[in-house]
Amino acid sequence: MRRRDFLSTSALALLAGCDRVLSFAERENEYVERGLFRHTARDVASGRFVTPDAKYPSYFISNTVPMWDATKNGPWSLEVSGIVAKPLTLSLDQLTRLPSTTLRLNHYCVEGWNAIASWTGVRLSVLAGLVQPDPMAQYVDFQSFDDGYHESWDLASAMHPQTLVAYGMDGHWLGAPHGGPARVFSPVKLGYKNTKYLTKIVFMPQRNGGYWSDQGYEWYGGT
Amino acid sequence: MTTVLRHHWLVRVTHWVAVVAITIMVGSGLRIFNAYPEFARRGQTFCCYPFAGKPIPNWLTFGGWLGGARHWHFAMMWLLVVDGLVYLTFLYLHGEWRDLVPRQGDLRDSIAMVRFYLFIRKHHPHQGKHNALQKLAYFAMPWVGVLLVLTGLAIWKPVELGWLTGLFGGYVWARYWHFVAMSLLVILAVGHIFMVFTVDPYAIVSMITGRYNERFAPEARDARPFYHLLPQEEKSTDA
Repeated sequence: MRRRDFLSTSALALLAGCDRVLSFAERENEYVERGLFRHTARDVASGRFVTPDAKYPSYFISNTVPMWDATKNGPWSLEVSGIVAKPLTLSLDQLTRLPSTTLRLNHYCVEGWNAIASWTGVRLSVLAGLVQPDPMAQYVDFQSFDDGYHESWDLASAMHPQTLVAYGMDGHWLGAPHGGPARVFSPVKLGYKNTKYLTKIVFMPQRNGGYWSDQGYEWYGGT
Repeated sequence: MTTVLRHHWLVRVTHWVAVVAITIMVGSGLRIFNAYPEFARRGQTFCCYPFAGKPIPNWLTFGGWLGGARHWHFAMMWLLVVDGLVYLTFLYLHGEWRDLVPRQGDLRDSIAMVRFYLFIRKHHPHQGKHNALQKLAYFAMPWVGVLLVLTGLAIWKPVELGWLTGLFGGYVWARYWHFVAMSLLVILAVGHIFMVFTVDPYAIVSMITGRYNERFAPEARDARPFYHLLPQEEKSTDA
């Protein structure tokens, strides 16, 4: 083997080795994180502050702010399906008539910032109660109309009492920049796991990655 | 003059593992920090960081991108914690904590060391394994480490370990204290490396082989930074 080949092969082997160590560590960390997870642990946003709308970052992956096109796609609706006894499709009107919760919560971004807003919506556990997932359903996928964006979660995090399908923010209807008509919001996952522009909630026996998870961010992304 | 076994192999191994782990932890931590190089909660201001919005120079960071740096940070943290625990357990069981824990007289000895380094005092104060300033630095390091682990847990799990995050004043402050503790550790490490190279480079060999020739000790050389790096002539009055 020539010296250059040897060096580049060794460098590649080293990189591959690092990669394996890092993915091993990620798997072990997820194990630890799931062990730490408690439904009784709640996010506490102390004080009365909420982040002004203009200062609340709004990310999406489409080139422009995703807007539901009702003339092309018909009225927006939310499908709750997968391995469930009673799959369900809800109009926005039907969603808002379900028992609602308003919570002032921290948003923890993977970048290191946090923000506070008051979210109004339906607990995911309430929706699960309606569709009755199969005991095999250990994962939930949250899909959106933002250019195929989705993120799958472990069931326990989805069932946390602070995990909402939110349609209201700071006392007004959820606007397009923050994921309207409805989005997932939970302080127990980092921002990138909280699918905006929600269209579909699918209960699944297995995880199926997600937009940012597939690009190398931790799949679990728990707080 | 005698050569002594100065560092147990366990101390040497944990030392170099810590060098690698701390370097990667600091580098990847700075890369993570660069994704939001300030502390204020969105929509609020933060009192106590004058460099808000200015990222750390890339060459000081490690991991390439935010996700990569996080993977390194969350992998290396285990290595560093285990390494630290092994070292501290050894220190306790072997009684070597006595070389590091401050005792009466250390303040006086520290002042004497400072006076010596400032050329106010002519000869190196008498010392044990370490001089009083070294003792202080090596004693502080594990405590800074504990602070780093606790603040790190507080910002990794602000909901699951919310009580801990609250103890540090909330997420924003916990992140700040994590950064401050990192800065302290870097200051201690940079000071340590500077002193090793300019006062006692022979210590590098002893941290590898474990052996140390006492003829080369800073005390025997009256060594200050950049002064008396070579061993001194044996004094005829040596007794």
